[in-house]
Amino acid sequence: MKRTYGLVVLFVLVIASGAVALGQSSKKVAEEDVAKTAAILDHVWLDAAHNRDTETMAWLFADNFVEVHPGGAIVDKKEQIAQIEDPQRANLELHPDDIQVRYASPDVAVLTDVTTIRGLSGGVNYNGKQRVIRVFVKQNGRWRAAGAGIVPIAAQ
Amino acid sequence: MKRIYLGILMGLVVLAPVAKAQSKNSASAGVEEEFKKLDHKWLDSERTGDLDYCEKFFADSYVLVLANGTVYTKAEWLGILRGPDRPTLEVLDPTNIQVHVFGNVAILTDHTTIKGHDSKGARLDGEFNVFRVVIKQNGMWKATGVVMNEDKTKK
Repeated sequence: MKRTYGLVVLFVLVIASGAVALGQSSKKVAEEDVAKTAAILDHVWLDAAHNRDTETMAWLFADNFVEVHPGGAIVDKKEQIAQIEDPQRANLELHPDDIQVRYASPDVAVLTDVTTIRGLSGGVNYNGKQRVIRVFVKQNGRWRAAGAGIVPIAAQ
Repeated sequence: MKRIYLGILMGLVVLAPVAKAQSKNSASAGVEEEFKKLDHKWLDSERTGDLDYCEKFFADSYVLVLANGTVYTKAEWLGILRGPDRPTLEVLDPTNIQVHVFGNVAILTDHTTIKGHDSKGARLDGEFNVFRVVIKQNGMWKATGVVMNEDKTKK
């Protein structure tokens, strides 16, 4: 009788631990998917800025978007897009490296990267590597850029 | 009598959207106030050395980017605040706090005035425009990111 109880308990434990493992693994997979999506959107964002593709930027940026630039200027979605399409703006060299997803949930992703920017934009003369935090948020089933903080990396 | 009822009904129909808008505005103003208090509490706890609060308030994903681009994780930054090289902060005051809420994440921007010195006595005074990210985890708002920029907009 004891053996039967023991087998039943063992069976329940095996099933339960399998379910827990499955839950953890699916959560991990979901986080990895969010991280991958955010990393791709980082490239989409910077490619759009480089190519002055303001339609893509308008599509990507959330309505309440905010960005803090080197020197402390704070711009909203409209101002950021206006800077990108400004004909006075130089054709920027612009690419991200060292993308690290710091936080990922089903509807939020926060990442850091080192973005190399060279050229004049929004009154700022960019000349090298910038440390950036970027925030993405899922709104109505679609990932959008919520904001970014950018600061130049000082020469050592 | 029918005319009175009709008048009351029309009044309710006309005023309903106004009441709804007012209630929506006051709710968002309330949320904004809560985030402003959170920003003050955050900086007060760093200034006064309330590191138990910081330990709870900083998410494990917390990352601080200083105005020279140096990055600290939660463990690294709390290690500095707990260590012998802890800076002395006389003033750490956020003003002009702007709140952008996106469901489970909020971005705060503020102008932070810092007055103080490092462990060797060198002054750390400065005016900064700061990008702050807070996330909602298990019903609690937690700090997950900061980017500081020296404010050169008025120079």
